[in-house]
Amino acid sequence: MKKTNRILTILIFAFLYLPMMVLIVASFNTGKNLTVFESFTIENYKDLFQDKDLLGLLGNSLLISILSTAIATGFGTFAAVGIHNLKPRMRKTVMSLTNIPMTNPDIVTGISLSLLFVFIGTTMLHQKESLNFWTLLIAHITFNLPYVILNVMPKLKQMDPALQDAAMDLGCTPVESFFKVTLHEIMPGIISGAVMAFTMSLDDFVISYFVTGSGFLTLPIEIYSYTKKPMQPRVYAMFTLLFLLIFVLMVGMNLLQIRSDRKKATKREITKFGRIFRRVCAGFCAVAIFFGVGWLIFSTRQDKVTLNVMNWGQNIADGSDETMDIIAAFEEKYPHIDVNYTTYESNESLYAKLAGGGVTVDLIIPSDYMIARLIDEDMLNPLNFDNIPNYKYVQEQFKNTAYDPNNAYSVPYTWGTVGIIYNTKFVDEADVTGWELLWNEKYAGKILMFDNSRDAFGIAQFLEGISINTTDKKELQQAANKLAEQNPLVRQYVMDQIYGAMEDENAWIAPYYAGDCMMMMDANENLQFYLPKEQGFNLFIDAMCIPKCSENQKEAELLINFLCEPEISGANMDYICYASPIEGARDHMDEYLAESEVIYPEDSILEKGTSYLFLPPEVNRLMDNLFMEVRISGGDSGEAEEDPSSLPVILTFAGLGIAAAFLFLPKKKTKHK
Amino acid sequence: MKKNKSILLSAPYILWMLLFTLIPLGVMVFYAFTDPDTGAFTLGNLRDLGLFLPTLGTSVWYSLLSAIICLLLGYPVAYFIAHRGAVAQKILYMLIMLPMCMSFLLRTLAWVGLLETNGIINVVLGKLGLGTVEAIGTSGAVILGMVYNYLPYMILPLYAIIVKIDNRLIEAAEDLGCNGLQVFGRVILPLSVPGILSGITMVFVPAVSTFYISQKLGGAETMLIGDIIEKQFKTSNNPNLGAALSLLLMLMVLVCTGIMNRFGGEDEEGGVVV
Repeated sequence: MKKTNRILTILIFAFLYLPMMVLIVASFNTGKNLTVFESFTIENYKDLFQDKDLLGLLGNSLLISILSTAIATGFGTFAAVGIHNLKPRMRKTVMSLTNIPMTNPDIVTGISLSLLFVFIGTTMLHQKESLNFWTLLIAHITFNLPYVILNVMPKLKQMDPALQDAAMDLGCTPVESFFKVTLHEIMPGIISGAVMAFTMSLDDFVISYFVTGSGFLTLPIEIYSYTKKPMQPRVYAMFTLLFLLIFVLMVGMNLLQIRSDRKKATKREITKFGRIFRRVCAGFCAVAIFFGVGWLIFSTRQDKVTLNVMNWGQNIADGSDETMDIIAAFEEKYPHIDVNYTTYESNESLYAKLAGGGVTVDLIIPSDYMIARLIDEDMLNPLNFDNIPNYKYVQEQFKNTAYDPNNAYSVPYTWGTVGIIYNTKFVDEADVTGWELLWNEKYAGKILMFDNSRDAFGIAQFLEGISINTTDKKELQQAANKLAEQNPLVRQYVMDQIYGAMEDENAWIAPYYAGDCMMMMDANENLQFYLPKEQGFNLFIDAMCIPKCSENQKEAELLINFLCEPEISGANMDYICYASPIEGARDHMDEYLAESEVIYPEDSILEKGTSYLFLPPEVNRLMDNLFMEVRISGGDSGEAEEDPSSLPVILTFAGLGIAAAFLFLPKKKTKHK
Repeated sequence: MKKNKSILLSAPYILWMLLFTLIPLGVMVFYAFTDPDTGAFTLGNLRDLGLFLPTLGTSVWYSLLSAIICLLLGYPVAYFIAHRGAVAQKILYMLIMLPMCMSFLLRTLAWVGLLETNGIINVVLGKLGLGTVEAIGTSGAVILGMVYNYLPYMILPLYAIIVKIDNRLIEAAEDLGCNGLQVFGRVILPLSVPGILSGITMVFVPAVSTFYISQKLGGAETMLIGDIIEKQFKTSNNPNLGAALSLLLMLMVLVCTGIMNRFGGEDEEGGVVV
């Protein structure tokens, strides 16, 4: 029994630590891949210390968690004293209020707070940016407070009330007696509450994810978006350093505790050591808060204009692989502008961010049909072309488009096609005949599919011979059925995650945008691109627009103008592998890319392409819901019911309600006994 | 007199918690009952929930299963730790705490590297000539991810309870003729029930609402309720349906934890573990 316990414990520890060891080993790897160790290097650590963005995010995370912990600890300690002295029934009510954030799932806490902030900020106060640093701070304080309260309360309970009376008998005022006696008695509770709050706050992802806008991001949120793209090994380096830091801190705290326990055994007074430790702690907190607040004031009072740019993942040259760092070049040219660059995964997620109303964004690069929707819903600002003289370089065929007929709101950035990327090592060339490849049962479990409704429906519609711009319910249902048929074969529905899956050959077939396919083909030579010319394919334009919530329109226009310079556009395309709508940009591109059929297909092929057009909101919603059904019920969703019965839902709610009533009512009775 | 004054200290806190926990839930209920396009009162969002009930069922099933696995794995470990010397206990406790402080996103991502078709485990298995395991994208991988992430939440409360069990009780049972198994079944296990219940709650609640684990380790078939809620907010832009789903999830968790509390008797205010 004892032996098996010991072995099991060792195995469990191995289980807990194995993934962390994988990450630590990966931080010394020259390759980007987690699974293949190429050779040993410390280059990743050097990269880490040069990556100002990543360090800035770490700073943001620390700032939020230190500030929220300090506030919650102070606030919570006093509140605990107050609650402790409340009448029992009232105390019970307050404690159940305290338990709400503890027992609710994080996602519910995050969503309810973000709805509140958006409701107050956008609906009531008409603020442009209702989700920001302050809302994040409030959220963190809110979920930190219970940790402090729940750790301090038991200590207050344990404390002998006579102690305080004694202090007052000896001439202390109530306030003095609190600081001289009570505080000392409850200190261990305060410290453990603060430590818990700090760690929870530092690693919180779910609540922060729903409560921040784009202006202030923390490390976990950025890591979440990193994990969809190929991860940069410097992130693993940061993980390793944090691991070491926390390890040392924990060992240190334990040593201190063991020591003070030993001393306590001999005498009960405050040890000299404890006193010093406490002062060091207090000093540390004070310094941290001082710097935190100072830094905050400093960073908000900067002379620089912060330009918030939101773009697709992997959609601007960032200086890696000997390309140009476009953003850095722009900031060098206009030193008064500081670009805050964030990414989105799909047109739909960009729309959700803008419509959610929590963010300020100055420049976005959505696709054609989304631009039409944004124009229709009055979410874009008209551009001032006086600031964009380089518009003259835009090729004629990209002007007067269906989505922006008057050229008032957008300047094209890239254009491209949607085709199939497949792995020649595993996929038989004979099967590569058209979109039906994605429905081929031979490759079940190796097929990836778009995780956005418009692109996914488009493919089914090409295959079924329906217009990709149909608004007919029956035709949409037909496409949905086709997608449901495919569901059992699909490995995952992905967007940016496609990179890892295809490059590492974990999946073999996927539809995706040509330029991104080209990037994957660069990384793995077994990958090949195929455009189903006969069935038709999507031809898209991504264009730069300025949303209504922008606060720096002029600077955004400067960036648009900068990106339209032929040399810059060409250099940019070298990285993102798309076709440029800018005259002369092709001449500045790498020859191998400029001549590529994948990037610049022949005109005769291009004629077969179709663009997505604007669809009315109810059609979009129907498409979203149908796609959700496809993903949930998979193959067995034959025909959707016209009017879904509400009976199961009513029964569920009634059941839950009765159960809740049953559970909570009799409990009170037993209390009275 | 002094007491009356210090009560006032709790007032700002009560105000804060009302403002930022109770009222947001009220706003959520408000959204759940309004139409996304017109903003008028509707029961439509609740009706639409019917589609997601099977998903809710799957989520509950997965997270209950992982809570039980956590219990089976965690109990012996907690027991083992609780019966070490003081210093060893502290060290082992710290080693259980440590993973909880590290980014759970990255740790879960590491599992992707381990489990992938061409991942580390398959490479090792291949070298040993044992073939490959197609683990990623299955429900097994999702449950593994849940067990991995939330196992410490099970071990810590169990440890906190087991370490408090009075050794004299065990000795008494032995003196009265119990064998090892009987001591465990009649003394130790019943005494550790509060720890078991709070451990199950602490695993179940985050597991049932997760979306990251199923996104990374799951496949096309393993959509959980958390995924759907996240999608409503982050891509489909239907916060009203999302709010209705969250409401359903919250009620369900409330009922589940309520059942736990019923079994566990009265756990007074100070019941904090971690």
